Amino acid sequence: MTSLRREPSLLLALAIVTGLVLSFIVYPQLRVLATPGPAGYIDFLSFGSWVRPLQNSITVTVLSTTTAVLLGFVYAYAMVYTDMPGKPFFRVIGILPLLSPPFVVAAAYILLFGPRGIITYHVFGLSPNILGLYGIWGVQTIAFFPFAYQLIADVLSRSDARLEQAARNLGAGPWQVFRSVTLPLTRPGLGAAILTTAIYVLEDFGNPALIGGLYTVLPTQAYGLISGFADLTGASVVSTILLLLALGLYVSKIRLDGGRAYVTVSGRASSMPRPPVPRVVSICALLACSALALLILLVYGTLVVSALTFAFPTNLTFTTQHLEYIGAHNLSLRNTLTFGLVAAAFSAVFAMFAGFLVERGTWRGRRALDFLLIMPAAVPGLFFGIGYAMAFNEPWLDWLDRGALITISMIFWNIPVGYQAAVAGLRQIDRSIDEAATSLGASRLRGFRDVLVPMLGGSLRVGFVTTFVRAVTTLSVVIFLFTPQSVVATITIFQLVNDFNWGGATAFTVADVSMAIIALLVVAAVGRGRIALGAARA
Amino acid sequence: MTPELDRRRFLKLASATALVAACGGATTAPTPTPSVAAATATGTPKPTGRISVYSALNELTNNEFIKGFKVAVPGVEIDLVPLAAAAELQTRIRAEKASPKADIFIGGDSSFHDGLGKEGLLEPYTSPNASAIAKEAKDPNGNWTGFYFGIFGIITNTDRFNKEIGGPKPTSWDDLLDAKYRGKLVLGSPITTGGGYIFIATQVFRFGRDETKAMDYMKKFHANVAQYPGTSPQAIALVSQGQFVGAPNWAHDILSEKAKNPGIDLSIPKGTGYEIGGVSIVKGSKNLPAAKAFIDWVLTKEAGELNVRLSNRVSVRTDVAPAPGAPTLQSVELVNYDRDWASANKDRLVRAWQQAVGL
Repeated sequence: MTSLRREPSLLLALAIVTGLVLSFIVYPQLRVLATPGPAGYIDFLSFGSWVRPLQNSITVTVLSTTTAVLLGFVYAYAMVYTDMPGKPFFRVIGILPLLSPPFVVAAAYILLFGPRGIITYHVFGLSPNILGLYGIWGVQTIAFFPFAYQLIADVLSRSDARLEQAARNLGAGPWQVFRSVTLPLTRPGLGAAILTTAIYVLEDFGNPALIGGLYTVLPTQAYGLISGFADLTGASVVSTILLLLALGLYVSKIRLDGGRAYVTVSGRASSMPRPPVPRVVSICALLACSALALLILLVYGTLVVSALTFAFPTNLTFTTQHLEYIGAHNLSLRNTLTFGLVAAAFSAVFAMFAGFLVERGTWRGRRALDFLLIMPAAVPGLFFGIGYAMAFNEPWLDWLDRGALITISMIFWNIPVGYQAAVAGLRQIDRSIDEAATSLGASRLRGFRDVLVPMLGGSLRVGFVTTFVRAVTTLSVVIFLFTPQSVVATITIFQLVNDFNWGGATAFTVADVSMAIIALLVVAAVGRGRIALGAARA
Repeated sequence: MTPELDRRRFLKLASATALVAACGGATTAPTPTPSVAAATATGTPKPTGRISVYSALNELTNNEFIKGFKVAVPGVEIDLVPLAAAAELQTRIRAEKASPKADIFIGGDSSFHDGLGKEGLLEPYTSPNASAIAKEAKDPNGNWTGFYFGIFGIITNTDRFNKEIGGPKPTSWDDLLDAKYRGKLVLGSPITTGGGYIFIATQVFRFGRDETKAMDYMKKFHANVAQYPGTSPQAIALVSQGQFVGAPNWAHDILSEKAKNPGIDLSIPKGTGYEIGGVSIVKGSKNLPAAKAFIDWVLTKEAGELNVRLSNRVSVRTDVAPAPGAPTLQSVELVNYDRDWASANKDRLVRAWQQAVGL
């Protein structure tokens, strides 16, 4: 508090951040949640159709989060600690599942592993019914492990090698070091990873909708209500239930963190190498990562093959005719790139700055801001979009460019991951470093800019990458906002899928995903050297 | 710090200016037809300017419709918002009611238009070209006009059907209750797709509006269903790939898919239902003359023929021939489908269905 009063610029910054959060996260959501009125809530709750989806949502969240975080941890550990070969390849693979536009990728899973799947039936002669709980579980594990991987890798790469070396020198074996030094130090990162992954799984609509069979979860129910009954009442109630669950997760995460300190970057610099991991661990890590990579490549390979064949899988004649759609809809590709890059840059910086204000602040009410910055993860994209369509589609706002509005929605919808990464990162950096800067005469803001930001390159990178890939792949947020001039790739893909144009849809998806990967590689190449954009590479 | 303040003040000023402009625009320009057009001596000024069309039609039809309209009514530009999901477009129009962005809503079963009309979100308009259209294919209040019929049928995967079910293709809805189909059927979700609901309503009408019998049928049918996909095309794709054996779905879409994959088949059971594809003007349209011109054009013979050729649907105009091989309202045995009743009871029936099957 005192520091705020002493530094008016910090106070102003806090006011601006709070104002933006209230305008672009809280207000649109309130517009949606206030639609039903109390009678609507009572009416819907007493109908009782939400009980089963609620149970299902909890089951799925527990199962998928567990496996996704485990997989994410193994992947992150392999990338940061072991000396397995092919890390640049695995780094790209670790982002691919995030780049799965709705409909197409889940459809590829059914093509591969469905009752007449290419692998299940044509290779193994099996006819499994993957629709349902197990289907959702499997697909979500693959779809969400990258979130956990990114967050955990960021934290692992910042853990102090000296502590591990010290433990080894004192006679601890590799396993004991892992269990008693590495694991405890990554607790804030693990907590953040579990929380974020769980909230995203909870909110996930695309996978359960395609592969859920008769297994309804809350987001699919809310979607059905809104698009089938145009029932904002029921949908708002379901959305409220989702937010309450997210709040519950958040509270339990705070409990989990406890009040412990996790400082691993102290005032004294060190450049000690990590103790080597046993060779057998490296080999196992390579095998595990390769198996995962194979699965992911299989899915994307399916897309590439069907983009280049006449009518996959019934007619495998080579053709380039589907590629024409890429040119015909190049506007949506260009928009996607522009909106995605702008949103990612703003979102990453904003998330980091907000993380600094919350984590380093001592002012009252920061817990509330903390939750508000994580909350968008629990808001299904559809609600975020409808909230924006209701809140910002007013006659006096008609001058607002729709492309800009879409970009703003992407910035704020995707803040949680970058924010979580920033907070987890800051918690590992000793406050004595900030204090050193301020006692040398720098303001708190200057200390943040010149000292902390350069040390948080990894967190910035996590925020940028996840916002970008989610902005590139979201359909539900833009479906109520796009105009002919601001159409994006996912809208085009959705349109092609519903046109029975699977070839065109896959061709366009491949173009969209390739464009996103190239953009990320270019940004990484440009960013290297200036800030440690690839801290997770360590 | 100061630049920040400056920017905020600028934004405030900018929005205030916009507010004044918006209010001014609303009061002074109810008809944005440029004075040049109004000055022509012919009495009915030619429509000009732009209109925004929210379309649930498929891409090819959209493109050809825009091209055809441009030739017929030069001077009007179309901004197309394509979304092959009428329910989403309906929700979007509803969410935008504070400041409507659409002039035209085209495609999707008339129940989507009817819902908006009853909420007062549509601008009634009776086109002179609608006089030849049968009265059940247009709204008595003029909120929407039908321009095509879609007939409900069954898609089956020939290979899987012959191996696992056998015998003749289904000829009645009751055939789908055979235990051989267990877990092998899909149906577009009655909650999110027009077709899924028309399937339920068709059963209700088939049993002489005995809802208990209809729900009993839906319960038995449910035992054979593996999934209710969110959009109708998904259901067709799943059967076409052979993941599942069959699905009740739109005859015209099944025919379009069959053109690409001969391994599927269409059958139309007796007592089937149908949809009426609607077109309507959204209330608050800032260019009514052009919006009306668009409706007029969609109801022409030329547009009807285009639609039939591109989508295998049946035109509401009697002077437009059906697509080769496509079923027509005369060639199939229809259930006595009461559209007003189906539309008015939609929410209630879908909820009853949800409770019956436990979804």
